[in-house]
Amino acid sequence: MESGREVSDFSSGDGRLTVEDFSVAARGFSDNWKTHNQSFPPWSWVPLISRTPLVSKKQEEGYLSLEKIIILSSLEEKNPEEDSLNVETDCSEKEESIDDTILVQPLDNEAHYYDFHIVYSASYRVPVLYFRGYCSGGKPLSLDVIKKDLPSCSVSLLMESKWTFITQEEHPYLNRPWFKLHPCGTEEWIKLLSQSSSSAGCQMPVELYLVSWFSVVGQVVGLRIPLEMLN
Amino acid sequence: MAENETSPTILQFAPLNSSVDEGFWHSFSSLKLDKLGIDDSPLSITGFCAPCSHPQVSNHLTLLSESLPSDEQSLIANTSHGNRNKCPVPGILYNTNTVESFNKLDKQSLLKAEAKKIWEDIQSGKALEDCALLSRFLVISFADLKKWSFRYWFAFPALVLDPPASLVELKPASEYFSSEEAESVSAACNDWRESNSTTDVPFFLVSVSSDSKASIKHLKDYEACQGDYQKLFFGFYDPCHLPSNPGWPLRNYLALIRSRWNLETVLFFCYRESRGFADLNLSLVGQASVTLSSGESAETVPNSVGWELNKGKRVPRSISLANSMDPTRLAVSAVDLNLKLMRWRALPSLNLNVLSSVKCLLLGAGTLGCQVARTLMGWGIRNITFVDYGKVAMSNPVRQSLYTFEDCVGRGEFKAVAAVKSLKQIFPAMESSGVVMAIPMPGHPISSQEEDSVLGDCKRLSDLIESHDAVFLLTDTRESRWLPSLLCANANKIAINAALGFDSYMVMRHGAGPTSLSDDMNKTHRQRLGCYFCNDVVAPQDSMTDRTLDQQCTVTRPGLAPIAGALAVELLVGVLQHPLGIYAKGDNSSSSNGGNIDDSPLGILPHQIRGSISQFSQITLLGQASNSCTACSETVISEYRKRGNSFILEAINHPTYLEDLTGLTELKKAANSFNLDWEDDDIDDDDDDVAVDL
Repeated sequence: MESGREVSDFSSGDGRLTVEDFSVAARGFSDNWKTHNQSFPPWSWVPLISRTPLVSKKQEEGYLSLEKIIILSSLEEKNPEEDSLNVETDCSEKEESIDDTILVQPLDNEAHYYDFHIVYSASYRVPVLYFRGYCSGGKPLSLDVIKKDLPSCSVSLLMESKWTFITQEEHPYLNRPWFKLHPCGTEEWIKLLSQSSSSAGCQMPVELYLVSWFSVVGQVVGLRIPLEMLN
Repeated sequence: MAENETSPTILQFAPLNSSVDEGFWHSFSSLKLDKLGIDDSPLSITGFCAPCSHPQVSNHLTLLSESLPSDEQSLIANTSHGNRNKCPVPGILYNTNTVESFNKLDKQSLLKAEAKKIWEDIQSGKALEDCALLSRFLVISFADLKKWSFRYWFAFPALVLDPPASLVELKPASEYFSSEEAESVSAACNDWRESNSTTDVPFFLVSVSSDSKASIKHLKDYEACQGDYQKLFFGFYDPCHLPSNPGWPLRNYLALIRSRWNLETVLFFCYRESRGFADLNLSLVGQASVTLSSGESAETVPNSVGWELNKGKRVPRSISLANSMDPTRLAVSAVDLNLKLMRWRALPSLNLNVLSSVKCLLLGAGTLGCQVARTLMGWGIRNITFVDYGKVAMSNPVRQSLYTFEDCVGRGEFKAVAAVKSLKQIFPAMESSGVVMAIPMPGHPISSQEEDSVLGDCKRLSDLIESHDAVFLLTDTRESRWLPSLLCANANKIAINAALGFDSYMVMRHGAGPTSLSDDMNKTHRQRLGCYFCNDVVAPQDSMTDRTLDQQCTVTRPGLAPIAGALAVELLVGVLQHPLGIYAKGDNSSSSNGGNIDDSPLGILPHQIRGSISQFSQITLLGQASNSCTACSETVISEYRKRGNSFILEAINHPTYLEDLTGLTELKKAANSFNLDWEDDDIDDDDDDVAVDL
C-alpha cells in the first residue's frame, strides 16, 4: 500500500469514504473482528465480478458478509396463515412404509437465522448495513418478527434516533429486497465520531473507519463489538 | 451376533431438513417465466450441505439461487466450489404447472426412482468416486407465479436396511478417543476441511493407527486402508446436532458399506464442528452392527423412505413471497419510504396517514387536473376521483401530462377514463375512478326535457362531494365552479380552486361553510375565509357563448398549469397538516415573519396565491367570506337546503336570480349611482378566468 494512504479525504473529517478506502477498511475490520470477536464467525469478503472488465482492476469491488447468525427463540407462535395454506392438501396417498429407524423429533426451539452484509453506497459514499432474517425452512422474517429478536435497547434506539431507521430496499447485488439501515444520516454521525477522536489528538485511520461505524450500527441489530476492537 | 446378550437397540437416524433460500424462488421464478414456460420436465439442481456447526441447531440441506442450472453471468463470483459451508449435493426438481398435478404426483414412485439411482451408483462404484451421490435428493413443487407463492416437498431418499442396523454404542468422539487420538483426528479433519479439494467431500475414511496417528482418506481408497491400521472409521459430515443420534446421511452410507464391503460391524464417525473447526465434543463415534444380506441381488433395489415431514405432519410446505416479489407491493413500499424519509429528515411532525387516507375529487381532468393528480401522487395520496366530460383530443397530450397519443387515436378516450388508467400505470396502488359527466352551470338555460338529466348530475355531484374529503375546482370556466363551490360550502368540505389566465394564475382554498349553519358551533367566533365567488359583484353566467375558440379553450402559457397545479396541492397538504384544517386562518407571507412554524410544519398557510409569469412574481392574499356571495353565503346555502332542485333550476335558468337573492343587484345599483370606473378592470380580469380581486 502506498504511503500516505491514511491522508485520504476521509481523514479530513467529512465522514465519507471512497470505494478504495472501503475495501481497505473492510479488510481492517474483518481482521480485527477475527482477532477480537471469536464467538462469532468471521466476516468474509464477497468479491464481485466486474460488469465492465476493461475498467482498471486496481481495486476489487465487493462487500462484507456475515451469514447464518442463529438466534434461538422459544417455540414459534402459531401462524394461522400458514396452516390454512396446508389444509387443502391431499393426504390420501399411500403412507410410506412404517420405518422404526426414523427418529421422531419433538418440535423444539425455532431458530432464526440472520445474514448481514456491509455494502458500499456509491451515492452516499458511506458503508450501509443490509440484513435479513429467515426461519430454518427459509421463510423470510417480517420486520415485526425481527424487532422481537432485537435487544430492547435497539428497538428504543430505532424509535428515538433520527439517524437509524430500518427500511426495506433492494439489495444492490442480490437484487432482492433486504432490510437496511438507511445511510442518510451516516455521514453526519461519523463526522461527529471522527471529530471527537481528532480533538483528542488522534486521527481515525481508514482501517478503523468500519470499526467505529459498526460500533454504532451493530448495536441497532444487536451485534456488539468488543471494546478492544477500537484500540 | 448370538453372543450379544442384551436385546439390540435399533439405530435411529435424525431426519434431514430442508431450507430454501428466498433467492432460490426468485431465480426459479425468472427461469420459469423466461425459459421454461410450461415445460415441466424435471430439472437437475444442486443442494448444499455442511456439517452441523451449532450445539443446538442441526444443519439443513439448503437450496440457494445458485442451485439452479444457470448459463447467465452472475454478478457475484461463483463461490460454491471448494466452499466449506456449501458442499454440493445433486438433486432433481419436479415442478408442476398446476396445483392439481402437484397433488397427483405419485410420490412413492418418484422416491423409488431416486433411491434406485442411489442403489445403482453404489453397485457401479460411482458413489465411491463421487460420494455426494449418496445424498441425492428430490423436490416436487408448484410455483404460483401470479401470487408469488410456492408449494414444495422434499424427499431425502434413504435405502432401508432389512433387518435394521442395531446400535452397539454411541458416544461423543472426545470420550471415545484417547486425548492423543482426539488431537490427531481433529488435526486431520481440520486439514481435510481446509483443503479446497476435499472440503466439500462429505464422506471419508478416518484411520487411526496404533500409535494414535489419524489420517483421512477418500472412500475409493478403502482397499488401501486395509491392514495397515488398527481402526477404521467411516466418517461423514453430520448435519444433525443431537448427542443421541446420527444424522440421515449415515443411512445410505451404511447401505454402501454393507453392499460393497460386507462389514458386519461398522464404526462410524459423525463429524460436527464449531466455529470452523472440528468439535469432538459435538462429534460422535458409534458402532453399528449390520445383518449381511443373504443372496440379495444387485438388481433388487431395497425399500426406501425419506419424504420430509412438515412440523411432524405428512404435508407439503408452502411459502409466500409476495412481499418481496410482488412489484406492486415493492412500488408501494418504495413510495412510502420516500415520504417517510421526508418526515424523518425534514418534517418530523408530518402526518403521512392523513395524506394516504384522504380522498380527493378532481373536477376537471385537463392541464390542471393532470398536474394536480401527479403532485397528489407525489405526496402519497392514494385516492383520486376525476370528473370530466371531455375526450382526449390530439392537442392534449403535450400539455396534459397524464395522456399520450394512444389516448386520442380513434374517437378519443374520455379524459376521466384515460386519467384513471394512466394513474394506475404510474403507480398500481392508486385507488382511482373516473366519472364522465358535465357540471351543471348557472346562466346556461336548459329545456324542460333536460331537467331530469341535469338534476341527476347535480345529485351525482353532490354525492361525490359528500363521499370525498377534498375537492379541487379545476374546470376551464368560471360558472362550472359555482355549483361545486356551493356544494362544498354546504357540506363543509375542503375546496381548492385553481384558475389560469394567459400568463397569470390564482390558487386559493375556500373557507368553511357558513358558520351559523354548521354543526360545529365552536367555530362561530371565527371569520370565514372567502370562496372563489365571494369578491364578485356579478353572478356566474355564460362565459362561453359568443367567444372565439382561443377564448373558450383557455389559452395559457404552458408553464402555468404545472405551477398552479403544484401550488393547489401544496395548499391542500398545508390544510391537511394544519391542526385547524379547513378552519385555519389565512396567513400571508409578509405577516408571518416565518415564525408560524408552530402551527403547521410546512410553514405558512395562505388563503390565496396569485402569480404572474410575465412578471415572474407571486403574492399571497387574504379575503374574508362575503355575506352577499352567490355560492357560499348563508342566504344561498339556506335557500339551497330549503328548495333543493328548484333552487338549482332557477339559478341555471335565470341569470339574475342569484344576484337578486343575495342582494348583489341592490349593491350594483347603489354602486352605479356613484359612477366609479372600476368596471373595465373587472371585465379584463374576467376574460382571464381569474376571480376579481376588489
